[in-house]
Amino acid sequence: MSNKALAAGFGSCPQCHKLNVMFAEKQACTRCLTVFSSRKPKSLEYTLAWTLAALVMFIPANIYPMMVFYTFGKPDASTILEGIAIFIQMGMFPVAIIIFIASFVVPLAKIMGLFTLMYNAKRKTKLTLKQQGKLYHLVEFLGPWSMLDVFVVAVMAAVVNLGFITSIEPAAGITYFTLMVVFTIFAAESFDPRLLWDNHQKHHHNETFSQKRTTKTKITGDKHHGE
Amino acid sequence: MKRHSVINNMHACRQCDTLLPMPLLSEGQKALCGCCGAELFSRKRNAINRTIAVAIAGLLFLLPAIFLPIIGIGAAGIYNDASLVDCITLLIERRNYIIAFAVFMFTIAIPAVRLITALYISLCIKFYRVKPSLLVFFRSYHLFDTWTMIHVFFMGVIVSMYKLSAMADMQIDGGLYSLILLLFCSTLVSVTMDQHSVWQKLERSLEQ
Repeated sequence: MSNKALAAGFGSCPQCHKLNVMFAEKQACTRCLTVFSSRKPKSLEYTLAWTLAALVMFIPANIYPMMVFYTFGKPDASTILEGIAIFIQMGMFPVAIIIFIASFVVPLAKIMGLFTLMYNAKRKTKLTLKQQGKLYHLVEFLGPWSMLDVFVVAVMAAVVNLGFITSIEPAAGITYFTLMVVFTIFAAESFDPRLLWDNHQKHHHNETFSQKRTTKTKITGDKHHGE
Repeated sequence: MKRHSVINNMHACRQCDTLLPMPLLSEGQKALCGCCGAELFSRKRNAINRTIAVAIAGLLFLLPAIFLPIIGIGAAGIYNDASLVDCITLLIERRNYIIAFAVFMFTIAIPAVRLITALYISLCIKFYRVKPSLLVFFRSYHLFDTWTMIHVFFMGVIVSMYKLSAMADMQIDGGLYSLILLLFCSTLVSVTMDQHSVWQKLERSLEQ
């Protein structure tokens, strides 16, 4: 017996989480009138498209300079990795580490995480469901944090504006970087985590029969626990 | 008719789609899915009043956070400071329209809309003035959940402060303090807002 809402003919509204009886493939939620399906339609296709777009944007974001630093009229452009190298040379390790993680490791990890999730939703994998769920949460949580470098450049460009002495101008790389971050957020939003559980059930159908654990809601709370 | 009542007492986990009976929670408790461990929903204490208070505070800090200068630097007798709006106008002047749009949306527009919708919905529920238009408002509140980036912007300001302090004399201005307080309030709104009970209240009062 499957205890999934899909098998019972129900669908949970993506906006207000109300359970609806699904009469059609696509219908409006009885509570908030959002039109939805019981699974996000073409979820994997959309996720793949957005992730590939982000991956493509990652290349120019690293080739073109992020900002141009003018000292007494002399321009000095630096890409993400060059900027990090400059910080390491200057001995500013904390900033170098933060920028390296936020603008190089996190975007790559996010794109790789999305590919892993898509693979897990389609094929049999070694990862447990708990790990897959954690990976999805991580990808979702990391979403906005790669915007860090964009905000740094925006603030620096506005503050360091002392005419001829020094000024900073944002360069082409930052635009591609912003697009990449936005694309990965779209990719994470179009991924439907329920596909992971659907796929698991498909591949481990016999095991779920034998294990057959009773699913109950756990209730946690500070004061009222156990009452 | 019977099916209707059954469905109101069931809930499907958003992550693994397991059907679960709707748990009865008292204030301060939260329900987790027994299958995958994701949080189903939680009932917050005194949610409506707290949300009103925090949203009003956040809206008060919004304008100073946008218009007051955040940080300034001085070198060779020249001084320059910049506020959030200066950042955006400068980006527009230099034709970086995409970044200007992104910064405007993620740090000003979406947090402002979220605070206003949270305040409006809580006020309407508190004074029993529930209209169908509230559904649109609350749906937009859900939609913008992942797109508020004040915390990331604040981190960006910190990083640039660190960079600038090595380069020139740096001064912190009122905008930074307002930004911290705004960040605090906008985070608190998502903590105090009880989405599940708001949806239930909206449904119940719109049915009547």
